[in-house]
Amino acid sequence: MEQETQAQTQTSASPAPAPTPSSATAPDPAQPLSRGILSRSRLRSIYKAAISILLALVVTSVLFIITGANPLVAYYYMFYGAFGNTNFLIETLVRMSPILLVSLGLGIAFKCKVWNIGAEGQLYIGAFLGAETAIFFGNSPLALPASIVLAILGGMGWAAIPALMKTQLGINEVITTFLMNFVAIDLVTWFVSYPFRSTTADFPQSATIPASAMLPILIPHTRFHLGIAIALLAALPLVYFLMAKTTFGYKLRVVGENPEAAKYGGINVKKTIFLALIISGALAGLAGLFEVEGIQFSVMTSLSPGYGYTGIAVALLGGNNPIGILLSSFFLAGIYNGSVNVSIQLGQPSGIVSFIQGVLIIFVLGSEYIMRFLERKGVFKR
Amino acid sequence: MPLFNFFLVESTAKNQPIDDSMAVEDTVKEDKTQVSVSMENSNYAIYVEGITKTYSNGLVANNNVTFGVLKGEVHALLGENGAGKTTLMKILSGCLSPDTGSIFVDGKKVHIDDAMKAVKLGIGMVHQHLSLIPSFTVTENVALSIPLPGRLKLDIIREKIIAVSKNLGLEIDPDTKIEQLPVGLRQRVEIIRLLCQDVNILVLDEPTSVLTPLEVDELFRIVRGLKEKGKSVIIITHKVKEALVVSDRITIMRLGKVVRTLNASNTNERELASLVVEGFVPSTNGTKGQAGEPALIVKGLNVKGNSGRLAVKGVDFLVRSGEILGIAGVAGNGQKELVEALTGLRKTESGTSIMKCCNLANRPPQFIIKKGVSYITEDKMKRGVILNLSISDNLALKCIEQEPYSKNMIVNQRNVDSRAQDLIKRFDIKASDPCANVSSLSGGNIQKLMVARELSNGSILIIAEQPTAGLDVKASEAIHTKLLELRAKGVAVLLFSADLDEIVKLSDRIAVMYDGRIVGEFISGSLDMQRLAKMMLGSTT
Repeated sequence: MEQETQAQTQTSASPAPAPTPSSATAPDPAQPLSRGILSRSRLRSIYKAAISILLALVVTSVLFIITGANPLVAYYYMFYGAFGNTNFLIETLVRMSPILLVSLGLGIAFKCKVWNIGAEGQLYIGAFLGAETAIFFGNSPLALPASIVLAILGGMGWAAIPALMKTQLGINEVITTFLMNFVAIDLVTWFVSYPFRSTTADFPQSATIPASAMLPILIPHTRFHLGIAIALLAALPLVYFLMAKTTFGYKLRVVGENPEAAKYGGINVKKTIFLALIISGALAGLAGLFEVEGIQFSVMTSLSPGYGYTGIAVALLGGNNPIGILLSSFFLAGIYNGSVNVSIQLGQPSGIVSFIQGVLIIFVLGSEYIMRFLERKGVFKR
Repeated sequence: MPLFNFFLVESTAKNQPIDDSMAVEDTVKEDKTQVSVSMENSNYAIYVEGITKTYSNGLVANNNVTFGVLKGEVHALLGENGAGKTTLMKILSGCLSPDTGSIFVDGKKVHIDDAMKAVKLGIGMVHQHLSLIPSFTVTENVALSIPLPGRLKLDIIREKIIAVSKNLGLEIDPDTKIEQLPVGLRQRVEIIRLLCQDVNILVLDEPTSVLTPLEVDELFRIVRGLKEKGKSVIIITHKVKEALVVSDRITIMRLGKVVRTLNASNTNERELASLVVEGFVPSTNGTKGQAGEPALIVKGLNVKGNSGRLAVKGVDFLVRSGEILGIAGVAGNGQKELVEALTGLRKTESGTSIMKCCNLANRPPQFIIKKGVSYITEDKMKRGVILNLSISDNLALKCIEQEPYSKNMIVNQRNVDSRAQDLIKRFDIKASDPCANVSSLSGGNIQKLMVARELSNGSILIIAEQPTAGLDVKASEAIHTKLLELRAKGVAVLLFSADLDEIVKLSDRIAVMYDGRIVGEFISGSLDMQRLAKMMLGSTT
């Protein structure tokens, strides 16, 4: 109640319908807001993520024990393979970049409670369209920017189909986006097997992209390409800004939390959902293109080992928060590369990545309940 | 009409013989100073001592609360919104756990971890927002909360319902679906459900807020019946009159603390009101507004309800600026559909709603909001607020796109926050911090928040649906004053309320709605309450 004394000087002046800008721009310095970096609710979501990861690793150790490996040793190799030396660390960053791009987009969609399961397909379409654009432009300076634009448009366009079905016809986006993954992957497979097949390669794949469209390597003797820097230094801040500082981000939150209230408050719910879905498609398309232009240099049928699905786990684990997504995509990329090392060193099945991811999603989805249980038992303060 | 009924109820209450439990009163009057000796505790059905509860946002909802309920008494817990009444009762019924303090049931210290445990101890709560499944029958709903081993035996539960309802004279058909029952009967189902679980202490949270005056009388009859059967009933309320009429003892809470416990027979409305709200002065009717140009002209409006049938049938009316038009009527006569059509949330079949030469019918809500229409909605939880967003964000809902709150799509969070702080003070919203989630507020404060948002955006027409639902005297008074103030400034107000007193008090003109039509209109000066009441029920004479 100490606040009230300060309040009177500000408010007594005008009972006008809206506060005047002058009074609105002078906040009370004596009243610290809990909008800090580590607010209680944010700390709580960090605990939640940590608990889910821990439980997922515990369950995975059971798998290790069953297959006859010492879980501690396995996790050591996993850690070493992911972050053990500079090379491994850079490889983990290389792995992280497509996951980060995909999950940033999914974070936007999920914030609005639009469950885009179709990032994998959007990634393929974007990559294919972008790569073919680069090939079309040949060795010209336009090839790279044009391919980026087309990859973004390709991912957007592929996402726009389920988005329109959702907003115009009310068809559940989970089913449409998911099923369209198969359509996209098979479509791209057909394209690179027949009409756009490389004349020189043995396997079905597209022609190699021109050198001008290849993303420059930023750290010599590694695969650290420009796309990673773009993901980290452009896409990430941009998405953060979009979500935290703009009216669009505000609308995303409102529509996600209560569409009925959004409609009542004059927010165009359909438009917001549509935009959220196509933005996530755009980022998935970009992720696919960077894989082609930075790593693989032609579109292959095995373009992505499921980054579109990994992105779902990452976005959920990161709580749809760009910073959380950055950390969790780094973590999942580490698990990807680490499990490769585990399977080499200990002869473990390479499917461990998918296993950990699956278990992780289960625990992330259940983490709210686990957290409440722990709070009830007094492990955490409510 | 509610006024009349209160007199009725009051007189019947006075005819009741004074209960002998009053004799015990004097010994236990000073609850706070009493040490909990088990001998004395055993008089109490439930006794709590030193309960403190701080929410995660720092709000101290209960501060060292000590209070007891005797066996077989009706105990009212009186206090304004956010006084901590509901928090205390949620602690008793196991929905929340206290930070400190102990709970004694029948003189024995207990720990109540969850609602099931509370029910086992004989404590059951009927929440403000009823928790029944609409598409289930009464029996099925009761069965939900009675775990029977093995196969579902609906017959046994059905018989139990019949036995319980006969015993107390609570008529109910166990095979009706909940959705076919009016609110009063749904509440009765909740009570029966608790009784079927052999509950001895019933907690009713704001039970009258959703009821019509007749249903209130019926509820109070039930409560007295429960008392005669030896059950203890705790009624949470912010209405002083109700507390006096129905209860034996009254505990007053203010700002999380128990102020006093009084015998209902030894006190009066004045004393209670002054204890509930410090320094409360009822205001008089504000300055009359000067009715000006028509702000909204509605002509021949037809709107379909959810069932696909016309719910609003050719409604015509107009509201002038600087005027309050009250729409009276029993709920469910097309008011909801009318409001939704006017605010763009529902399609209109035909007809026009014209504001400054611009037809608002079938326009999206964002268009109508921009034209200067505010809407205080009845469905505050479902539609009026976003529970998991901050108070700031909720208050910004309709103005986030305007300067100075955002420019070129970029939100100015400082301005949004300081507007929130300003509104929190001006509308006396009990919140620790504008960044706290709305879900941490009490029901009454959520109502204040929504009203604050809708009355502060400079609209030229305010559509207010139950603007003071769930609010205490002081808060209602503040909102009434605000509405009258805005009227004086030339704002047009369209008021829908189930509380006829409120409509009569505020409106310049009153239109009566029945079966989707406006069936009559009164000028506030020459009001015939009898005729008005008859019209509301569809009688044409």
